[in-house]
Amino acid sequence: MAWCTPTCSASRTGSPLTRWRCWCSSASWAALARSSTSWSGGGSTGCCCHCCRLKLIAEGELKDMEQFFDDLSDSFSGTEPEVHKTSVIGLFLRHMILAYNKLSFSQVYKLYTALQQYFLNDEKKCGIDENDMELTNTEELDGKMEKEELDVPLREEEISCSGPLSQKQAEYFLSQQASLLKNDETKALSPVSLQKELNNLLKFNPDFAEAHYLSYLNSLRVHDVFSSTHSLLHYFDRLILTGAESKSNGDEGYGRSLRYAALNLAALHCRFGHYQQAELALQEAIRIAQESNDHVCLQHCLSWLHISEQKIFDSCVLLEHSVNKSLHFGLPYLASLGIQSLVQQRAFAGKAANKLMDALKDSDLLHWKHSLSELIDISIAQKTAIWRLYGRSTMALQQAQTLLSMNSLEAVNVGVQQNNTEAFAVVLCHLAELHAEQGYFAAASEILKHLKERFPPNSQHAQLWMLFDQKIQFERAMNDGRYHIADSLVAGITALNSIEGMYRKAIVLKAQNQMLEAHKLLQKLLIHCQEIKNTEIVISVLLSVAELYWRSSCHTIALPVLLQALAFSREYSLQYLASETVLNLAFSQLILGVPEQVLNILHMAIEPGLAHGAVLDKGCAMFLVAKCQVASTASYSQQKKAEALESAILNLNEAKTYLAKVDCKEQLRDVLYFQARLFHTLGKTQERNKCAMLFRQLHQELPAHGVPLINAFK
Amino acid sequence: MAAVGAVVGLGNADFSDLREIKKQLLSVAERSRERGLQHSGKWASELAFALEPLLLSELPPPPALTEEDARDLDAYTLAKSYFDLKEYDRAAYFLRGCKSQKAYFLYMYSRYLSGEKKKDDETVDSLGPLEKGQVKNEALRELRVELSKKHKAQELDGFGLYLYGVVLRKLDLAKEAIDVFVEATHVLPLHWGAWLELCNLITDKEMLKFLSLPDTWMKEFFLAHIYTELQLIEEALQKYQSLIDAGFSKSTYIISQIAVAYHNIRDIDKALSIFNELRKQDPYRIENMDTFSNLLYVRSMKPELSYLAHNLCEIDKYRVETCCVIGNYYSLRSQHEKAALYFQRALKLNPRYLGAWTLMGHEYMEMKNTSAAIQAYRHAIEVNKRDYRAWYGLGQTYEILKMPFYCLYYYRRAHQLRPNDSRMLVALGECYEKLNQLVEAKKCYWRAYAVGDVEKMALVKLAKLHEQLNESEQAAQCYIKYIQDIYSCGEIVEHLEVSTAFRYLAQYYFKCKLWDEASACAQKCCSFNDTREEGKALLRQILQLRNQGETSSTEIATPFFLPASLSANSTPTRRVSPLNLSSVTP
Repeated sequence: MAWCTPTCSASRTGSPLTRWRCWCSSASWAALARSSTSWSGGGSTGCCCHCCRLKLIAEGELKDMEQFFDDLSDSFSGTEPEVHKTSVIGLFLRHMILAYNKLSFSQVYKLYTALQQYFLNDEKKCGIDENDMELTNTEELDGKMEKEELDVPLREEEISCSGPLSQKQAEYFLSQQASLLKNDETKALSPVSLQKELNNLLKFNPDFAEAHYLSYLNSLRVHDVFSSTHSLLHYFDRLILTGAESKSNGDEGYGRSLRYAALNLAALHCRFGHYQQAELALQEAIRIAQESNDHVCLQHCLSWLHISEQKIFDSCVLLEHSVNKSLHFGLPYLASLGIQSLVQQRAFAGKAANKLMDALKDSDLLHWKHSLSELIDISIAQKTAIWRLYGRSTMALQQAQTLLSMNSLEAVNVGVQQNNTEAFAVVLCHLAELHAEQGYFAAASEILKHLKERFPPNSQHAQLWMLFDQKIQFERAMNDGRYHIADSLVAGITALNSIEGMYRKAIVLKAQNQMLEAHKLLQKLLIHCQEIKNTEIVISVLLSVAELYWRSSCHTIALPVLLQALAFSREYSLQYLASETVLNLAFSQLILGVPEQVLNILHMAIEPGLAHGAVLDKGCAMFLVAKCQVASTASYSQQKKAEALESAILNLNEAKTYLAKVDCKEQLRDVLYFQARLFHTLGKTQERNKCAMLFRQLHQELPAHGVPLINAFK
Repeated sequence: MAAVGAVVGLGNADFSDLREIKKQLLSVAERSRERGLQHSGKWASELAFALEPLLLSELPPPPALTEEDARDLDAYTLAKSYFDLKEYDRAAYFLRGCKSQKAYFLYMYSRYLSGEKKKDDETVDSLGPLEKGQVKNEALRELRVELSKKHKAQELDGFGLYLYGVVLRKLDLAKEAIDVFVEATHVLPLHWGAWLELCNLITDKEMLKFLSLPDTWMKEFFLAHIYTELQLIEEALQKYQSLIDAGFSKSTYIISQIAVAYHNIRDIDKALSIFNELRKQDPYRIENMDTFSNLLYVRSMKPELSYLAHNLCEIDKYRVETCCVIGNYYSLRSQHEKAALYFQRALKLNPRYLGAWTLMGHEYMEMKNTSAAIQAYRHAIEVNKRDYRAWYGLGQTYEILKMPFYCLYYYRRAHQLRPNDSRMLVALGECYEKLNQLVEAKKCYWRAYAVGDVEKMALVKLAKLHEQLNESEQAAQCYIKYIQDIYSCGEIVEHLEVSTAFRYLAQYYFKCKLWDEASACAQKCCSFNDTREEGKALLRQILQLRNQGETSSTEIATPFFLPASLSANSTPTRRVSPLNLSSVTP
């Protein structure tokens, strides 16, 4: 029962707000000094040359630096100036000279000592690692220096406090970490060390508001409601000031941050599943946005409103509005997120598949046009999920492979081909399950291992693979007949997905012949799932209920249930479940004694089953076909009968190979028993004895079945 | 260190020998002054002044000079005069190499102060905005290394330990600093500075429990002080009272602390009278006058505040407290720009003066400059995370910006810091009410009433909520409690709310057919302008129905008619409440 929700679209809507504004206030002098050293040569000079210049200044006297600035202003004059006044470098240099001229006497001296200090640090560091300007290194270095200076052991905090960053360094650090958090969480600093860095940053410059935002993102990583709220509100408190200070956009900028503050708060509550609070915050954001006619913000609000309401009642109206309006206001990102979410909902609601695929294709056009690589990934992941939902495993496999072999468009990951977004997690999980279904357990566990590495257990999307891992293990245990192991896995599955857990619990109960309990649980689940309109599970539950009925030899009661399931799966075009249902139906009919009819309807199920089904299902289907063939021989002539039996034996052989692949011993035993009987009828003693021996081996290994051997279809 | 004990004598926990205490105080004041510790000296002298003067024979002898002291005497004398003239580097230069305890302390202390002075100067001309937090006292690390060596070798006296603690605290090593300060108080319990530093480092009651403090009479002062800091006002007042009973009744320090404590629990009248007394005893005092001005502000006592502002301005206009008083004065006169200006000046004089940030935030709020207000409040929080006024102010700002959900967070923070303050609870309740979360709102109002509502508004709001939810019985209960509250405190607050309460009650009793109570309430209604007509109309109706009711009751003569059945299962409060109502006639 492969069952996955492509949740990507829901959880990613917040990211457009993660903008890293360029900090425009006057850059710190230390930073200027640092950058000037690499630019002073006028472009063509290499690393070596400005190193020399810096060395000259640092090892020389104050007058060398003064000379440097005097020279710098000369470079603009002359008939053929080295640097053009209005070029980027020219502007930068003039800005620098201006700022230098404004310095007081003591400040000049301070600048000089700062330069010297910088140079000395760099020289020492060259011994360790050349060209490595990573801030962590400077810190380690400072730490070492202090350790040499002081004979008292220093505490860790004290060491990390020693490395103040320049404005630019800090900005770079923040944007780098933010983008890593977004794309490749494993490469970012661990939550603890990142928080330490941020605290350090904020200690030296409490006004650096962006650091608060990053600390909010960081707290989200570890699901810390309190500190993330705290950081988020702090960020916006600070942002409101800067918005008010820069009068360029006047009152507008100030109000803007207010509504986005409320919106972000809503997003935060959404992420933590506090939908009621999220709605309150959204109401606020919407009201403020309406008052100031900010349609863009309103669109964001609408999307979030949809997400928060989705959990309460399922309505597409909001979303449709959102998509229309977003397109109107030129927000492609929001629009295609909306489309994707809509497609997801429609797929669950059983809308026509061709229309959904059309919609996805249209939004894909939009993505490629605007190079929204993130959305392309999500779109492919979603297609994978939808194909699986429809039971077309080959198509799903193909989509999954497409995403995995695609090159990322993001500049951040030039070296890396893939990143760590949810889309990848979803696709990889599907891939693992698809492999497991085909009996390639080694490959599946390989994929899971990879997932574990890429999405460490405490990361955002780790729950996905945890669920899939346990589901695969569960299936294997069930196939092997190790029900106690399967039972122990149920708890884990329930923790990650309660409905799935309940369903699995029922299956285990059923397998352990605790029919009453299983039936009770299934009925409860059925009612619940019908309420939340989870058709996929509803059909699966109906199938299990039917199975319970025919196990208790009430085939006539099972039939209407199966027909209901068939109607559902046809309506929602869930092909896989449909063929499953047909197989069940065929079996019931077989038992009721209409084998000719059975062979007619089996054709419907066998083809898609063999094309897309799991190996286990293929085996069962072939077994059923063989049984039908045998049953329909009753009226045949002797000659024809032998032929039919031969072909049944061939089918049984095929079933055996399938079942052997997934190690499904119980079914295998039944097949062997049946085959032995057939051989016996045909008088092929040697083959019969072989089958009988194999059967005997398996029979000793496994406990006796609860129902008569031949009467079970699955 | 043995010498220290011999000279000063370790104090006892009791106050039986005030003369001995006075001797100790005088001697420690002298010793503090010798080391340039002005504030500790001041505190000891102030306290000594409150005690009876000693006879000549009883005066403590000047501390005996040791061999080392004599050797360092010249250098010390020279350096001390430089030190007094704030030439710290110069003082340190001449003191290097001195071995005696006194000279060594002065040497280290002048190095420390020189670093601090340079740090302050640096902040003025730093290179850029990023360096704002980077400026630090460069001398601290070296001082720490040297002092820790001495500390290990147990060569530090009480003053030395105190300095070591200060250095550690400045390096943000709070835990180590606490240990050192505790040691300092053991070695030299009379040094108030060490106790005071300890006060700043202790953040909650639990921490206090685990400290092993020396058992001296100084501990009583310390405990009283820290109880005030930790807002454990009851305990603090008790301690101060016992100190006064022990013979320190004339101490201005204790009087001012008591006044501050009353201010903290918002017993405004008591605080005001104590401050007035203090001003009589010590007319040129500037310390704590900002608190006094806050009280005057709350009571809107314009002339008194104006007098205080002018008086302080004459004494010293470049003091933080003076600026605050003037700011409050302007604020009371609704000249908010000027007020903000003065608070800014106060912050320039001392950037760590927390109160001014919050007050400035209030001023910006008055000027409707919300963004500046948010900035000011955030700064206040940065200086002290436990400043509930700033959190409350932030909440108010966002409430003004019509973001009731957003401000919930801030109010909740404020409420966490002062769980027993009804103002936060009422604010929270109002926000919930705006968000239509009436259950939470009711909880908040009820709690606000339960912890002792100051503004007396919680009950009315609660009653109105009940009214909205058609819970008429609870609403009536609340109105009754409200009216009892209002009359029991003997002042008539707002006529509007009292009249609405009576009106509602009249109608409620009318509906319940409790004619007597209804008519009593309706009569009350008649004494208010806005409800007079309604009251009269209701009275007429009651009269009519009463006549009818009497006839009808005789006609039907049912054994269980409504009032009887109501009174049968009514709660005791219900039976009592109408009675009380008639007794509270003003």
